[in-house]
Amino acid sequence: MGQLYQAITEVEENISRLLGEVKSLRQYVEYLEEENVSLKRQLCAVSEADTERVQKNAARIQKEAHENLEKLYSEGFHICHIYFGENLEGSCLFCNAFLRKD
Amino acid sequence: MKIICKKEDLLLGVNTVQRAVSSKSTLPILQSIKMRTENNYLWFEATDLEIGIRCQIPVNVMEEGQVVIPAKLFSEIVRKLPDTEIKIESQDSNINIYYYSSDFVINGYDPEEYPEISDISSSENIEIPATIFKSMIKQTIIACAVEETRPVFTGILLQIEGENINLVSTDTHRLAHSQSVIPGNQKEFKGIIPSKTMQEIYRLLQDDDILYISYNNNRVILKFGSVQIITRLIEGQFPNYKQVIPQTCGTKLLINTKKFLDTVERASLLSRDNYLKTNTVRFNIENSAININQFSETGKINEKIDIDQDGEDVTIAFNAKYIIDVLKVVETENILMESSGSFSPCIFRPEDDDNYLCLVLPLRS
Repeated sequence: MGQLYQAITEVEENISRLLGEVKSLRQYVEYLEEENVSLKRQLCAVSEADTERVQKNAARIQKEAHENLEKLYSEGFHICHIYFGENLEGSCLFCNAFLRKD
Repeated sequence: MKIICKKEDLLLGVNTVQRAVSSKSTLPILQSIKMRTENNYLWFEATDLEIGIRCQIPVNVMEEGQVVIPAKLFSEIVRKLPDTEIKIESQDSNINIYYYSSDFVINGYDPEEYPEISDISSSENIEIPATIFKSMIKQTIIACAVEETRPVFTGILLQIEGENINLVSTDTHRLAHSQSVIPGNQKEFKGIIPSKTMQEIYRLLQDDDILYISYNNNRVILKFGSVQIITRLIEGQFPNYKQVIPQTCGTKLLINTKKFLDTVERASLLSRDNYLKTNTVRFNIENSAININQFSETGKINEKIDIDQDGEDVTIAFNAKYIIDVLKVVETENILMESSGSFSPCIFRPEDDDNYLCLVLPLRS
């Protein structure tokens, strides 16, 4: 009887030790998750200045590309996907639509 | 083969299939017409391997058989035959044509060597009234490209989606789009049909015919009356034509079609002679009038047509042929012209008819 009682007491002690370890692990996991979210935010965050710089750059490239295509068309070359780069005879509906779309 | 028939029936058969006879093939047998009997009918067949035409005429068949004979010679002799009972008899590969107490022999080819115009085993069948289809072909065939650098532009896009049927063609300088309704149709089809085939359908289709279309992945068979046309479809993707049609316009004009056509035709007489060698006609549109002031080494023309104008004044130049082509297929008294400036495509459509439009790109000066 004394032996069984002692065994149960030991099991009880083990369980309470394990619970303590699980508690500390939970706290550690919570900390890691918070850190992860904050790191993700830092990664994604782009400053307004950066956004503006990128947008300006894109607009400049687009304008230059449009001007280059217009120049190519006026110099007598197709700029539509059907005949791109080939000699243009007169005018082309698809090149014209492409320029209007831009 | 031994048959008795009338000259007019022979002539009908020859005339029907003759345009499918190859004119430039290196295979001499493709410059021939095949004739074969079936019950009390004589079938005429011709093909250039891209388009095949079959036609049957009623004859008195005394002995079944088939022959292949040179198309040009046979066509010419049939035209010159007297209007009497004609007897045709084959002897090996040759045929004897008997009329009165005379006869004419044509040396032919072995019928077994003639390519077979095979049928399409498809249960899909679309029915279209001839009048609708003929009118749509007439309106769109004008914008097909002649050069074969891009084969898709040498044909007409046929698109059937349920009850809606669309024909579209473009040579990249102009675009014609005609749409109509086939009541009760549920089937779908999309393919580019060669303009030569469309021309033949237009030529042979009678107004009271019903056109039956069957198809598979790369071929279409069109049946009407006693005629069957088998054609290949043009491979390739037809470009997205909707993107080139402007949705707004700055100037709307309503012009008398006949007066406009006569004026442009007169002006083009001089534009053909101009130093640029382009058939250019320039319109100055202002104060509800179109003014054409054209000159060349050979003369000068000043014309003015009164019109209904809604919107800004515009000066715009076109290839005169493109304008004449569209004005010839528009059957309404007035034509609507929608312009968005000197460099944007101009839309021509019949007055009060949204089913047809022809888009023409101005010439850049």
